[in-house]
Amino acid sequence: MRDARYDKLAELVLDHSLRLQPGEVLRIEGDAAAAAPLVVPLHREAIKRGAHAYTALDLGGLKEILVAHGSDEQLDFVSPMELREMDAIDASITVWSESNTRSFTRADTHRRQRQLTAQRQVAIRRRDRIASGEHRWCGTLSPTEGHAQDADMSLEDYEDFVFRACHVLDDDPVGHWRQVGDRLQARAEELGSVRELRIVGEDTDLTVVVEGRTWRAAYGRQNVPDGEVYTSPVETGANGTIRFGFPAVFGGREIDDARLVLENGRVVAAEAAGGEEYLRSLLELDEGASGIGEIAFGLNYEIDRFTRNILFDEKIGGTMHLALGMGFEALGGQNRSALHLDLICDLRREGAVYADGELVWRSGQFLQDPQPARLAERVR
Amino acid sequence: MADVLVGFCGGVRGGDLVTLESSTLAAPLLRELYRKVLEAGAQPLPRITLEPLTENLLRFGNDEQLAWLNPARADDIESVDVRIVLAAPANTKRLSNVDPARQARYDRSAEPLRNRYLERAAAGELRWVLSAYPTEAAAQDASMSLPEYEDFVFGAAFLDDPDPVARWQEFGERLDRLAGFLATKREFRIVADGTDLRLVTEGRIWVSSKGKENFPDGEIFTGPVESSVEGEIRFTYPGVFNAREVDDVRLRFEAGEVVEATATRGQEFLREMIAMDDGARRVGEFAFGMNEAVPMFTRNTLFDEKIGGTMHLALGTAYPETGGLNRSALHWDLVCDLRSGSEVYADGELVYRDGQFLNGSS
Repeated sequence: MRDARYDKLAELVLDHSLRLQPGEVLRIEGDAAAAAPLVVPLHREAIKRGAHAYTALDLGGLKEILVAHGSDEQLDFVSPMELREMDAIDASITVWSESNTRSFTRADTHRRQRQLTAQRQVAIRRRDRIASGEHRWCGTLSPTEGHAQDADMSLEDYEDFVFRACHVLDDDPVGHWRQVGDRLQARAEELGSVRELRIVGEDTDLTVVVEGRTWRAAYGRQNVPDGEVYTSPVETGANGTIRFGFPAVFGGREIDDARLVLENGRVVAAEAAGGEEYLRSLLELDEGASGIGEIAFGLNYEIDRFTRNILFDEKIGGTMHLALGMGFEALGGQNRSALHLDLICDLRREGAVYADGELVWRSGQFLQDPQPARLAERVR
Repeated sequence: MADVLVGFCGGVRGGDLVTLESSTLAAPLLRELYRKVLEAGAQPLPRITLEPLTENLLRFGNDEQLAWLNPARADDIESVDVRIVLAAPANTKRLSNVDPARQARYDRSAEPLRNRYLERAAAGELRWVLSAYPTEAAAQDASMSLPEYEDFVFGAAFLDDPDPVARWQEFGERLDRLAGFLATKREFRIVADGTDLRLVTEGRIWVSSKGKENFPDGEIFTGPVESSVEGEIRFTYPGVFNAREVDDVRLRFEAGEVVEATATRGQEFLREMIAMDDGARRVGEFAFGMNEAVPMFTRNTLFDEKIGGTMHLALGTAYPETGGLNRSALHWDLVCDLRSGSEVYADGELVYRDGQFLNGSS
């Protein structure tokens, strides 16, 4: 039976995230089996909107065979057709759904990394076109049993969770996300005038310099669901300790209860209750892997629990996250790495955040509605 | 099956770019193919489809969308070395209720791609093989259980033979000899129940189809001289095209063109297809089905046109390698059972009777 919620999610992505226009060329990507429940309505609704929509679908299990059996040359292969294709499309959607989220857990890390590094060429081509305004992209998810299992839920409950988080059951989902955009953009502007943040929580006391960096609001353009504000902090400006209460899931492996000590923006001590060795191997991936690439606040309060999926976890309302590794160039970030490891710190119970010495956040909430500097000046 | 498709059919070599095109239902075979292509040192490129997507386009697309040629598909056709395509339907009648005019518009948009890949194939730049992965939908069309249908498919491909490749090579040699024999003939006359048809093949090339581009395979075909087809033919089996069936098709030809087309069911659809474009009313292919391991009709052209003891005509586009000149967005194979009460004359001489070429023909 057709579930109208998938249609509504498709409409939200096409109308709000991509603002798809008639005659535009849209590529829909995903795993043919796992993503099908969303790919089919995305394609149908895009066709109804007059776009030239088509799919580029993979099949779960194939990349695993490549990583297990491919020669170096095969691992390094980048399809010249796919590179050319990136230049010919106006918009694209990635449906990240997997049937089995752990199918790479036992794969050789180096070989997997090598294959991912090759595929980054395609991502970089797309990123450049997004940056120059020639391309619009959105990543989203269609619920699967695998993702539900990771979230300790039944598929039915997980669907409810996903569609609530996406606000597709609202009377006017597009209107909702526009409102979120207004609010988060104001918040980002306000944070843009802050010099230094101090995060205090359980086993956590970290100061992060963000002066001169641009904060960005994420309100459903490039991710659905969405709801965060983020920037790349000053690379040398993080000092203190932080404990990440939620496990980090990366490359199909988990790192539990990670604790980091940072000095002048670099990790100088790292431990974890589970996956400590894996965490250390990631930190040693390259020079930038032990530096900070991102600091962010998760502000989607419909996402109220950890589900082992970064698309949702980093937006949990009342949390902040740091990413080790690659920073955002467009926001002023200078750290470069093959790694971008998001680590999430729950600030809902004991958390407090100070902005230039002033308490701005307690128990999972900003204390006041955003008051951007410019707005404040105007009022004055 | 994967071994034979990659090695014997596709001739995959190191460095080749190989598209693997099918639906998710063929996943088990696709994974095997992917591994075999890697083992051959080539690069597998999965191109997975979902059946409802074509339906979305045909149902909701405007004329411009229906006519749109996807540049990514065109680039594939231009760039890859081998295409391995597996039919693996979930529902073969999904498009039964689509407006045939819209379907025809969509088919015409795909014509340049089809012509280009046939052109590259004829020039030896692109190898392709169309095969089938057994599904419930295909089994249902064949009126079989899935296990029975699997046996049928693998049997038709000689995969129950200890050395399938040797068997295909041997069969191929026989077909080559037969093609050589037919190439010495100028004109053919087919006589069967409701059928008395003449056509000229002089100057055209007989191709033996022996497991390279279709798998399973087993036919010899040519493109007849376009203006030479005269007389009438009654097709024993339903014509199956674009999810529709047309029963008991009878065609009358004059100077190579269909001048009368009737059917007991689906006659209107038949006539619409024939009116699709200029080439759709002419014959693009004349062929004999030669695979004795395909004994029955299963509503799937890949198999039906190979039934041992049958002949078929295709309305529409010709294969360039036969020398056939007809071009159309249509290529509709219609099959005529010759296994009882039938005769074929070549230049006046009886060469085929009741489903078999006579001694001395091959």
